[in-house]
Amino acid sequence: MFLQTIVNGLLMGGVYGLATVGFSVVWGVMGIINLAHGAYVMIGAYVAYVLNQWLGLDPFLAMAAAMPVLFVIGYVLQVTLLNPVMRTSLLLTLVVTFGLDLILVDTFVQIFSSDVRGVQTAYSGRSLALGPVLVPYVRLAAAVLSIVVATAAFLFLNRTRTGQAILATALDREAARLMGIVPERIYGLTGGLSAAVTGAAGCLASTLFPISPTLGLTFLGAVFVITVLGGIGSVPGVILAGFAYALVQAFASTYLGANYQEIVAFSMFLVVLIVRPQGLFGKRFYGEASA
Amino acid sequence: MSPARRSLLFALIALALLAALPFVIGNYWLRVLTSVFMVGVVAQGLNVIVGFAGYHAFGNSAFFGVGAYIVAVALNAGIPLPLAIVAAGAGSALVAGVFGWPLLRLRGHYFAIASVALNMAFIEVILNLGGITGGAQGLPLPISPMAPDLLYRIIYFIMLGALVAATAVVWMLSQSRLGYALRALKDSESGAEVMGVDTVRAKIAAWAISAAMTGTVGGIWAYWITFIEVSSAFDIGISMRAYIMMLLGGIGTVFGPIAGAFLFQIVATLIWAEFTHIHNLLLGVFLVAVVLLVPHGVLPLLSRAGRRAAAARLFGASSRLSNRLFAREER
Repeated sequence: MFLQTIVNGLLMGGVYGLATVGFSVVWGVMGIINLAHGAYVMIGAYVAYVLNQWLGLDPFLAMAAAMPVLFVIGYVLQVTLLNPVMRTSLLLTLVVTFGLDLILVDTFVQIFSSDVRGVQTAYSGRSLALGPVLVPYVRLAAAVLSIVVATAAFLFLNRTRTGQAILATALDREAARLMGIVPERIYGLTGGLSAAVTGAAGCLASTLFPISPTLGLTFLGAVFVITVLGGIGSVPGVILAGFAYALVQAFASTYLGANYQEIVAFSMFLVVLIVRPQGLFGKRFYGEASA
Repeated sequence: MSPARRSLLFALIALALLAALPFVIGNYWLRVLTSVFMVGVVAQGLNVIVGFAGYHAFGNSAFFGVGAYIVAVALNAGIPLPLAIVAAGAGSALVAGVFGWPLLRLRGHYFAIASVALNMAFIEVILNLGGITGGAQGLPLPISPMAPDLLYRIIYFIMLGALVAATAVVWMLSQSRLGYALRALKDSESGAEVMGVDTVRAKIAAWAISAAMTGTVGGIWAYWITFIEVSSAFDIGISMRAYIMMLLGGIGTVFGPIAGAFLFQIVATLIWAEFTHIHNLLLGVFLVAVVLLVPHGVLPLLSRAGRRAAAARLFGASSRLSNRLFAREER
């Protein structure tokens, strides 16, 4: 039981972490709390669903399609709607992203109705037995892939010139401008990349959760908690925090009952916010201070 | 006449008109106006914590839900309505005090997110409490034996009374030591502290006042619709709409949030009546459009169109104050 709980937590942690990476980077680089972030997860899941229905494509392979689609959505929304308001006040960015969330969710309700859907694979429901512990293949694949994508995002930010430009803009916008970086373009790119990574998380989520237009809402709470736990803008921090969050949830659900996992998560969140607001692994970024 | 006198006179005339209306209008517009008063109070509540203290309490809908549940549980226990409504206001203020003490130490984004998390935590707690709160099934309230026509007119006046009271509180706040302390700490918290303001107490007091207003109308709302559940009582959309009204009317002013509430709710009612199935989509478009097109609120818009004098006559110093407040926020 104890081992199985740990495994359950570890298997879910990757997806939670990956779903949070984009949110955390956007907050760190631009100081935007993107309330439409959950909608990106939802759109990624629907891309996987549609491709699975039409072409019988495996939901994990659908990531290759979901990432470019979400990149375009994230880039366009950032450049057209968010760039003009992000330098004004926290209030306006929150209102705009909340409005965007309503628009995106309602659009998907119009297209797909509110019915709950799911994707099936040939290996759904099959598990790898490791002694007494069962490891479902789908969850294992989702956990491994989420770490792969997160690692790619981390390497992109830290090892490429473009990634370095994003981090430089996050640390000091004005100095970055003096180095020849155009912040507005970097912001568009950051918005697009964050949406793409989140879309990949959505594809993974499509195999684990029932798909509906409000799928994002269930993620948004977790995303808040994990961002604060992991520290703003830190990819490794967020992934670790994703595992920590999922482990706490798994233990709460095994030993207290499934109803309590959210309450435990929120309590954890409030405690961390108060005791260590910079997160467990956080460092200060420009975007954060601009609030 | 001084500007303050003029705006008071204007407010009294508007009040007399609103008091006479329920004897003329039909039930549909009665309901629309009642909801305008309701969201107007929520906007005033937000105005206290956001407009004065500068703390973005995005999850203020938590208090709306707390108030609604207090009234529902109290009425089911046989407690009379006036007492239940007072308990809703006081209980919400208490909740804000208890949670405000740790949460108001957070600044900027962190406080905004924490207040949203508070709202979500209340949803989970009530879903799990079950018992007297009804849990996931929702909670029906005792239905009044009064004739519906009479009952809805009484609720209209209760809501109107709440709006007048909330506005009076905001006006008094704007004149009081606490009001000055809050505006000072909005500009610079450490600066205010140096000047001798007990910032912790001032912030908690502001959130408690804000919560009392929000919780009171939450309670009246529960009595009005006679059935509550967590998704409607703790709907974060309540505080989002209140934000937009505050934004439309002018943040940190006495009458701005009310003007915003009327404008928003009446436009919304007219438009949404035609498009009920894409209600949320239109709300989203409206939110984005307001922020991108009129981020300073409509009052300054009037003045920019060369009608500064007219706007100033109507709302006294409020529009100038809002101009100044926004100039600062955009720095």
